Amino acid sequence: MKEKKYLVGIIAGGSFLVAAVTAQEQTPSHLQELLELGMHPGHAYVDEGRELFNTMKGPNGKTCASCHGEDGSKNLEGAYARMPRYYTDIGKVADLDLRILSCMTQYMGFDPKDKKFRKEFDKWSGKYRVPLATFVASLSNGMEINVQIDDPQEEEMYKKGEKLWFMRVGARDFSCGICHSVLAGKRIRLQGLPDPVKAKVYTHWPAYRFGNDRMWTMEDRVRSCFRAYFLFEKKWNEKSDWVKKPPPYSDWVIALELYMKHAANGGVIEVPGLLR
Amino acid sequence: MKKTVIYGASFTAFILIACQPTAQKAAVSEKKEEEKKIQVKKEKKKNLAERFKIALANQDKWQKACSNPDQIVPKGIDVETFRKEMMATVKFPEGGVIGKDIKRGEKLFGDPDKGGRSRRGNCYACHCGDPRILACGNIGPSLRGYAKRGIDPKDTYIRIYNSWAIVPCSVMPRLGYHGVLTPEEIADIVAYMHDPESPLNK
Repeated sequence: MKEKKYLVGIIAGGSFLVAAVTAQEQTPSHLQELLELGMHPGHAYVDEGRELFNTMKGPNGKTCASCHGEDGSKNLEGAYARMPRYYTDIGKVADLDLRILSCMTQYMGFDPKDKKFRKEFDKWSGKYRVPLATFVASLSNGMEINVQIDDPQEEEMYKKGEKLWFMRVGARDFSCGICHSVLAGKRIRLQGLPDPVKAKVYTHWPAYRFGNDRMWTMEDRVRSCFRAYFLFEKKWNEKSDWVKKPPPYSDWVIALELYMKHAANGGVIEVPGLLR
Repeated sequence: MKKTVIYGASFTAFILIACQPTAQKAAVSEKKEEEKKIQVKKEKKKNLAERFKIALANQDKWQKACSNPDQIVPKGIDVETFRKEMMATVKFPEGGVIGKDIKRGEKLFGDPDKGGRSRRGNCYACHCGDPRILACGNIGPSLRGYAKRGIDPKDTYIRIYNSWAIVPCSVMPRLGYHGVLTPEEIADIVAYMHDPESPLNK
């Protein structure tokens, strides 16, 4: 009898452990609840993006849906899973943000030199880029990331990204890699350091970050990371010589995105993410 | 009466004449300064790509050596030479490595009134210390009870000024080497860390 009790105890304890371990790997229960209740704040961006996608007309009268079908049904499902990639029509390796900008300027008639338009597009809280990117990314939900590197330009970009990932530079001697590869799992203050290369965290981007109540695309994420580097032109000076961010849609940003997303190949896309 | 008027008039005239050039000069220099400001703004805006490129090209030879997947001194580079070269960059303050302004040292370390925040030293990002500051990182070792470890304040100073003189390629920024902190500011942090009355050591 006693032995039986032990046995039951061991089995119960064991199954509890297994349950605990699997639960940790899945979406935390409170987030799952938010999703089920339809209260994920990122979904507002998806809805806004869908609305824009179908109805917003460019100066020449075209909408996104004119080429991609309503809700992107014609050719956009799974497109985000293969980005960044080389696009022949713009002759560049582009990420999601640059691809959307190029579509708007090349096919919808927006003037790339129109400062007002560019400002609105680049802005974090602007009405075009972030909602559209979130919506387009969500069309690849449930699919595996599948970034291929077969064009020579993609190859060059990948190498650039890998080099930049490990490059120690700036007045703080940082690199992406020292924190996010070598020291991954440790904590900066209370923030855990994820390993985007091994852990395939790219599956959750674009993500809504409740730390500042905003949707972030990977462009925003990578560019903001460089603020921590304390980059300078002549000699470090917080007030007069601080090169805070690389320019938007620049090769540096896209190269890092390509490097990280290629490493996340096989991960199942689940956007918008909900992060700190 | 007449005389005073004449004197007064000539005096005012003199002042007017004397002051005119300086007033003009002031106006000119103000204009110049404004122009300068506008130019600085223009330059900043002009080419973010160019500035970023220059910033990356500023990588020094030691940073370059550390830029590998392991983020340590690679084979072929002598670690001792690396350390010696780094040590040679350390500048000491005139008043010695233990500063006088412990309060300033605490603020630079991480201001307790702001939850331990400080953009300058920002020590709590990686180290724990003052037990009141709960939001502290675990990348570096905890600094609680630091003064009781028998460490020479000079070594503390060197570590903060140029951590690579002790551990080459460490993730700890070379705060003095890059001028993020001045030698005097580092000395104040050292004073805070070694003070027996400091919350670190209680």
